[in-house]
Amino acid sequence: MTQADTAPKSEAQKRTEKILAAFHDEERFTKSYDARLARHIWGFLRPHRVLIGVSVTVLLVTSGLSLIRPLVMREGIDKAVLGGDKQELMRIGFLFAGVLLAEQVLGFVHMYAMQIVGARAMATLRTEVFKFLHGRRLSYFDRQLVGRLVSRVTNDVDAILEAFASGAVNGIGDIVRLAGIVALMLALDWRLSLIAFIAVPPVALFVRLIRRPMREALREIRSRTSRMNAITNEQVSGMSLIQAYGRQDAARRDFDETNVAYRDANVKSIKWEAIQDASIDMVGSVCLASIIVALGYRPVSFGTVVAFSAYLSQFFEPISQLAQRYTLVQGAMTGAERVFSLLELGEVDAEPKTPAAPGNPELAVALEHVNFAYKPGVPVLSDLSLGIRRGEKVALVGPTGSGKTTITALLLRLYDIESGTVRIFGDDVVGLDRHALRRRFAVVPQDVVLFPGTVAENVAAGETPDRERVRHVLERIGALDLFLARDGGLDADVGEQGSKFSAGERQLIAFARALYRDAPILILDEATASIDSDTESRLQRALEELLRGRTALVIAHRLSTIREADRILVLRQGKLVESGTHEELIRHGGLYAKLHELQFSREHVVAPPKSPEAAAALPPGA
Amino acid sequence: MSENSGRFPTGLGAQFVRQGPRYALGVLLLAAYQASQYFFDTRLRAAINDVLGPHHSRAVTLGLTLIGVMLCAAVVRVLSRVVVFNAGRDAEYELRAAFEERLLELGPSFYRRMSTGEIMSRVTNDLAQVRLLLGFGVLNVINTVFALVSALAVTIPISGKLTLAALSPLPLLLLVSRRLSHEFYTRTRDNQAALGKMSARVQTSIAGVRVIRSFSLEDAELATFERTNQGYLDRSLALARLRGSLGPIMQITIAVGILVVFWYGGLLVLRHELDAGGFLTFNRALGRLTWPLLSLGFVLGLVQRGRAAYDRLRDVYVAEPDIVDGPLPAPPAISGRLEVRNLSFAYGSNHVLRGVNLTLEPGRSLAIVGRTGSGKSTLAVLLARLQPTPPGAVFLDGKDVCDLPLHVVRGAIGYAQQNAFLFSTTAARNIGFPLDEPDSPESQRRIRQAAEEARVHDEIAALPDGYDTVVGERGVQLSGGQKQRVALAMAFVSDPHILILDDPLSAVDARTERGILEAIDRQRAQRSVLLITHRVAAAARCDHIVVLDAGRIIEQGTHAELVAQGGLYAAFAEEQRIESELEKLGHNGAEAAVA
Repeated sequence: MTQADTAPKSEAQKRTEKILAAFHDEERFTKSYDARLARHIWGFLRPHRVLIGVSVTVLLVTSGLSLIRPLVMREGIDKAVLGGDKQELMRIGFLFAGVLLAEQVLGFVHMYAMQIVGARAMATLRTEVFKFLHGRRLSYFDRQLVGRLVSRVTNDVDAILEAFASGAVNGIGDIVRLAGIVALMLALDWRLSLIAFIAVPPVALFVRLIRRPMREALREIRSRTSRMNAITNEQVSGMSLIQAYGRQDAARRDFDETNVAYRDANVKSIKWEAIQDASIDMVGSVCLASIIVALGYRPVSFGTVVAFSAYLSQFFEPISQLAQRYTLVQGAMTGAERVFSLLELGEVDAEPKTPAAPGNPELAVALEHVNFAYKPGVPVLSDLSLGIRRGEKVALVGPTGSGKTTITALLLRLYDIESGTVRIFGDDVVGLDRHALRRRFAVVPQDVVLFPGTVAENVAAGETPDRERVRHVLERIGALDLFLARDGGLDADVGEQGSKFSAGERQLIAFARALYRDAPILILDEATASIDSDTESRLQRALEELLRGRTALVIAHRLSTIREADRILVLRQGKLVESGTHEELIRHGGLYAKLHELQFSREHVVAPPKSPEAAAALPPGA
Repeated sequence: MSENSGRFPTGLGAQFVRQGPRYALGVLLLAAYQASQYFFDTRLRAAINDVLGPHHSRAVTLGLTLIGVMLCAAVVRVLSRVVVFNAGRDAEYELRAAFEERLLELGPSFYRRMSTGEIMSRVTNDLAQVRLLLGFGVLNVINTVFALVSALAVTIPISGKLTLAALSPLPLLLLVSRRLSHEFYTRTRDNQAALGKMSARVQTSIAGVRVIRSFSLEDAELATFERTNQGYLDRSLALARLRGSLGPIMQITIAVGILVVFWYGGLLVLRHELDAGGFLTFNRALGRLTWPLLSLGFVLGLVQRGRAAYDRLRDVYVAEPDIVDGPLPAPPAISGRLEVRNLSFAYGSNHVLRGVNLTLEPGRSLAIVGRTGSGKSTLAVLLARLQPTPPGAVFLDGKDVCDLPLHVVRGAIGYAQQNAFLFSTTAARNIGFPLDEPDSPESQRRIRQAAEEARVHDEIAALPDGYDTVVGERGVQLSGGQKQRVALAMAFVSDPHILILDDPLSAVDARTERGILEAIDRQRAQRSVLLITHRVAAAARCDHIVVLDAGRIIEQGTHAELVAQGGLYAAFAEEQRIESELEKLGHNGAEAAVA
């Protein structure tokens, strides 16, 4: 039982339910057909216009053939059967079969052509949306529901396709058929036709009456089904939580509510579908009987009776089909509305702006008076300035939340700064193409992400792997034997999220990836996770190899790495507080000296538990 | 676990019996419907012969009668479908409810064996197949039988030879529709799988957008996406091809039959072995056999698939829960004394805990400290029987937890897990998860209070819709630390006698941690707290500390005792000391010189 049955809803509950309803995408149809959206859709269909033309032509022919069939039957009955002409019977029999065959084959051609056009156009649209999303600002994704963006690319686009492939164009065929049937019936016997047409208004009214609840029922089924799947998935995923808090009864109630709603939505549509099914089934018989009544008053040829009854039973089909297609088109418009309004979104990632005058090209990386905040009013970096010379290896250290990871994100221009300038080799990053900019960096993130694919593909990261080069970089970091020893060698699949590899092995792949890319600047966010000692020593060697001859900015956690650096920058609360070599800073006795003491104690006194730094240092939404 | 447990039969046969009365009614209705069709056809023949003959005015009354009969038949047809399909939907509802009830009872050994995806596929795809069997399948089998009888009753008296000729394509029809039905099923499944794959691809890509940016991998991502997109395109066109050819293939097969009737029947008319009314009636009777016969092949496939699908559901129905209620009744009151006696536990051959002994008195606090992998978390889940706790090892108020009803144990012991899971609902409802009415004003107040205690209130309030923001996998993504604190707030809200916190601060910064620890201190006024942590600052506040290493207790005592002892705990303490000094320096230290 819902709470709604027992008590009036509180304001809070109503608000929550409204938000959840919106979240569960309980769609509402847009009021009317929108020419602007149709133009957008046409943009994707245009490249296929020849095929559309062919399909429409075939459709017209098919509709014509379906009109001819009853006439052939009439000929057959009147001339051949009742007229007693055996040869004519043969001829007409084959003609009838031929018409039927042609109608079916052409019908298939039309349908399939439409499907090809629709599916291809929608695949293009889907790619377009996907590409578009990857061109938005990172901060946009920090605020978005992932599930909703996914359904823009999948469900909404599919709705457009469904309507197009089986809706819009076939409507033309329905209208042609309807007109043809009316004309032919009138020609066959206009008085009988008029009697039949009396049935049109009540039938049209009936169709209209059951259409609306049926459409509502179908819409409800769709939303209930997705809710049903969502709740099942959640209960299974959160089962340990449900059991830990002993919430089985509440879970069962929630589930039952959804299950009942799902069943009731289906039951509702069963009724309407049964009415529709029985009506279609009945129309032919009732028409036939009505004609018999009419013929009781004024007899005509038997063949005409047969043809007339055939037309009559065909007559109501296009009417009901048209209504159905209209619903489909409306559904598509809802999907289109969502998709195309997404495509109108601004928030372009790393939009080119007028750059500041060129600075010193000898500085590989420079931040000048940079102010930055993820959320307005919560500054992360304040008036920060720093520079790294070409070939210099700099270690960035500081407590959690001091802005280390943020600095690396700004160098790549993942976020735009509020004020100040970020330069790469003297050029303001806002004047550079985002890909050109990002390709000058090789990044080793703290939590290595492996992409679906093989080891070699992961090392080549986005390029077609050059096997020799993959081997070479793995050789250089001293990890080739490790990967060759595995089943499948370099072609071994990394599994879901790289699940088949240990943290250390994943690090090695990330190092190899950075070497393979061979970019002038290396950004390394050192992992804090504990790694087994064998891989650890490999990693040390690999790191030396990686740093050789490169400008490097390392967010360092290991003492050994920090000591290797030419210079150490110490950050606190988004400000640079100390800078110098290890010895200088230890002598200074400031923040670094403390950090060093901590690090020392971690590495020499106890094996470290997993550091909290990992999660806490990430900006929101990372 | 509940008096509702097993309220629905789960056997396929049992469901047949349960829906039996409605099936019987369905049989009657379908028989009546087909009888009316028989009546129509036989009268039609007479009416047409009247129309064509001299007594054409007699047809008027006959025609009107036929219209009335058909209207009644339509009503009967509607009723038959509603009755039988509803039976199918009810059976589906019950089978699904029973499925979920079983899932709620099953323990970790089951969930290790069957993945979420596998369970989902059974409760969606397989259950849909079973429902089709119990609704659509039943209706069509009955209807086909009656349709055949009623049609043959019309056609055989007209002409036995013609009937035989007209039914000649039947075996072919069955074969073809059988084959197509199988193909249709596989292609639909492939199409669904391709769509699922594409959704997963998009989801991964959007969730990993930061990494993709950093590596400038947009083009590579796009290329991978296009491959998946193409895969889906191919599958959906393959399905469209089949769906589109179904009609023509069937129609052409039927056309053969019509052609036979037309040609051979025409011949019979010429030979005056058949009258015109008979000819038309024959055609009509044959026409209404078309759909039932066409669907027969589909129905046969459906029955077969439904039974196979039921077997997969059955795997879940017969799975035995590994953690069940004990025989003792629920005690009237719980004081909350927890005792662990010589507890050992292993996952397979991997020994995690060896001979652990400890006691937690009501209102006291106990810290369990140890490295990753020392067995701390396993100990925590065994206390509340979230894993199969061995009997005779854990006692609540002196009673073995294995002997008590599960809801008593889990109601008394609140457990906040380390890897917090959030439901895709609002932040408020996540925190209020343990509450019966999370939306009531009283609950709203408690939720906010718990959020403040867990130091997550400000961040929730800053979300786009505040407490009404949808979070979880498909919602706005929270950081690891935020999720942990939401889980902690959830534990506070649940108000148990014993609160077990499994490293609730591992992804939380030190300042926030201090605030939370103070809140936990306040909690101790109301309940005992068992804190699993690697942080000394947290452990130091507890009355007693147990240090776990490789599944054994290696040190225990108060903070002061353990620090003096100079063991593993002391080493942790040293690290902690420097960390806190650093913290002070970070926030209040004098301006350091910039070199």
